[in-house]
Amino acid sequence: MAKEAVKYVWEGAIPLQIHLHKSDVASHPAPPPALVLAPRIGYLPLLIPLIKPYFKDSLPPGEDSIWFDYKGFPLKWYIPTGVLFDLLCAEPERPWNLTIHFRGYPSNILIPCEGEDSVKWNFVNSLKEAQYIINGNCKNVMNMSQSDQEDLWTSVMNGDLDAYTRLSPKLKMGTVEDEFSRKTSLSSPQSQQVVPETEVAGQVKTARIPVRLYVRSLNKDFENLEDVPVIDTWDDISYLNSPVEFLREEGKCFTLRDAINSLLPEFMGDRAQTSGEERSIDDTEEADGSREMGEIKLVRIQGIEMKLEVPFSWVVNNLMNPEFYLHISVLVKAPQR
Amino acid sequence: MSQEEKAMEAIKDALRALRKRHLLEEGAHGPAISALSRPIISQGSEWKEKTEKLETELQQCYKAQSRLSEQLVIEVAESRTSKAILQEKELLINDLQKELTQRREECTQIQEELEEKTKMVDVLIAENQEIRSQLEEMTGRVQKAESENKMLIDRWMLQKMQDAERLNEANDLYEEMLAKLKANGLETLARQQVDGIVRRNEDGTDHFVESTIPSTCGHRIHAHEGGCGSIIFEYNSGTLFTGGQDRAVKMWDTNSGALIKSLYGSLGNILDMAVTHDNKSVIAATSSNNLFVWDVSSGRVRHTLTGHTDKVCAVDVSKFSSRHVVSAAYDRTIKLWDLHKGYCTNTVLFTSNCNAICLSIDGLTVFSGHMDGNLRLWDIQTGKLLSEVAGHSSAVTSVSLSRNGNRILTSGRDNVHNVFDTRTLEICGTLRASGNRLASNWSRSCISPDDDYVAAGSADGTVHVWSLSKGNIVSILKEQTSAILCCSWSGIGKPLASADKNGYVCTWT
Repeated sequence: MAKEAVKYVWEGAIPLQIHLHKSDVASHPAPPPALVLAPRIGYLPLLIPLIKPYFKDSLPPGEDSIWFDYKGFPLKWYIPTGVLFDLLCAEPERPWNLTIHFRGYPSNILIPCEGEDSVKWNFVNSLKEAQYIINGNCKNVMNMSQSDQEDLWTSVMNGDLDAYTRLSPKLKMGTVEDEFSRKTSLSSPQSQQVVPETEVAGQVKTARIPVRLYVRSLNKDFENLEDVPVIDTWDDISYLNSPVEFLREEGKCFTLRDAINSLLPEFMGDRAQTSGEERSIDDTEEADGSREMGEIKLVRIQGIEMKLEVPFSWVVNNLMNPEFYLHISVLVKAPQR
Repeated sequence: MSQEEKAMEAIKDALRALRKRHLLEEGAHGPAISALSRPIISQGSEWKEKTEKLETELQQCYKAQSRLSEQLVIEVAESRTSKAILQEKELLINDLQKELTQRREECTQIQEELEEKTKMVDVLIAENQEIRSQLEEMTGRVQKAESENKMLIDRWMLQKMQDAERLNEANDLYEEMLAKLKANGLETLARQQVDGIVRRNEDGTDHFVESTIPSTCGHRIHAHEGGCGSIIFEYNSGTLFTGGQDRAVKMWDTNSGALIKSLYGSLGNILDMAVTHDNKSVIAATSSNNLFVWDVSSGRVRHTLTGHTDKVCAVDVSKFSSRHVVSAAYDRTIKLWDLHKGYCTNTVLFTSNCNAICLSIDGLTVFSGHMDGNLRLWDIQTGKLLSEVAGHSSAVTSVSLSRNGNRILTSGRDNVHNVFDTRTLEICGTLRASGNRLASNWSRSCISPDDDYVAAGSADGTVHVWSLSKGNIVSILKEQTSAILCCSWSGIGKPLASADKNGYVCTWT
């Protein structure tokens, strides 16, 4: 079952309906939108070879500088597709309607993208960051041979989990011990083998988990997610790139809630399922300053919302991205003055 | 529920959420999208294959094109050379054609010539045959003629012999007569010597002939076109010189009336003429300010005497020497010329124009008749005026000397003819007639050789003849129709010639 989750994560894909922006339409009639399945763990620039054939006849002459936007909001390309979807679509829109531009790259908002190479570089960089956070150094990544790096990247691009599983041990990343994963997998001698290794490698009492946290703050409270307005500026999104200190305590399970609290201590308010003790404290605090406090409305990882009691170690081991980062999308109501 | 159970629950919940998501997202949309994209991808690959194929074809085409263009270059070069050759050949053909046409033309020409020649040959053959036949005829005739000739010669010889005999006889007779004549001649000579008059026969001496009174017209000759201004007889002959307005001097035989010769070369009208004593030269005074001297026998102009500045209206030559010529012109001069030298030797000036001129017998004195009616005498050698006498009330038109040199006849426009004695310049006789009017300023009259008769023409075409000794008109000759300009009496007594304004000359006997 542990494998099952990872498989679902790797197979996850978002249906995109890509429209060609009308300023780039040079043919008559305008081309119909292209439908593609975008891997959640992939990136938007990698989709360009799939999308371009649909639109190449309609393009005006000149050089292409491709970028995407969602309802006028330029999309940053180094964020995995799944994360963008979870973050920007409060109510999941399937298929997700994006607009592709071939001209007029907004260099003041987006950093330049030189195609697949930029994305690969970004991936490898993130990998090094993650290893540094986990192991304290990134020599393993840097010592990896060029062909292995290429193969690793190719496996990520193609969504080839088997190849990835074969190559990733070379990174010698330490993982969090996760007895729950062991327990969920009924008979998986492999996992048992894997676990002792990792335990030998880096099972420590305290581990540091690389996390990227995307917080979208809203001004008003909404009852329904459908009513959440479309985002119009990146200023509404704050981005945290800080590790989570994983405290391993006996008898106590480090839950997702604990992780979020460690990251966003100011957002005390949770959704409906909260533990009783905490709630009472929260209520008072809420009663005092619920208006001053922000409220976490939504937590999404890999497109799903979970009970916050879910053990963080399971989350990390199953739901992390290929570069060993965990991307968490959070929707909060902004604290008011 | 323990925490662990809660955790497990949460994990299951999470898994359920993942499955649900899968169904919603990639499960639902994946197959459709892949189905949609397949044709695009396949199309894309198709297009790629097509482009690759086209590219290879294009390369092949380029290669083929380069090969073809190489070939083309070669072909173009070859075609140029063959064009050049062709042009050369064409030029050659043109030249050959031209030559051919030339040759053809030559050939036709030659053929034509050949035809002509054959024709000529035929003609010649025919002629040849004819001539041969003629030759045969001729030879026949010649033979006949020879035989005749022979016969005639024989006869002639016979005649000659007969003549010779007769001649012999005649000679004998002649000798007898001569002897008789000699005897007579001696008798007469003796008689003459007794008379006391010795008559010597000199060259140049005039023969005395009795003049007859002319009455009938002998010939009427149309001598000149225009007027005939001057006529003169040769010495002691019947040959008449006439000079006219047509600038010709003609020589006539008055017996037959035929023209003997014409002398040309004068540049102006002949106004007056003179003949040398030996009849060898004729001098004419012309209106072109010149005098022309012809040699009669050859008919060529021997001298042209220039010097007068106006028309020369009168000329006379010395009877004595035939060398001195005197001429008068309307520039109021008289010039004396030497024919041997060929130029003027003396010039005499006077106030009134001279119309007629005459040299004395000895050739030393000049008689001139002038417009003022005077007759003047000049010495040739000095050119001085010797004497002058008023003869007429109006212009003197003619001055002519008698044969013996004693009398001089002057005619004037007052229609009076005076006869002066040359030594004393006294009037010996005056002649007039009622019908006699002088036509022009140069109407010439003349005295007969025996110094007895005077003839003068008049404006009505009649010629009046007076007798000097008796002083009356002896004859009026009517024949000519226009005014008479000139009269001349032959030295042998007859005929009398008169010339008129229409150029007709009449001879009277």
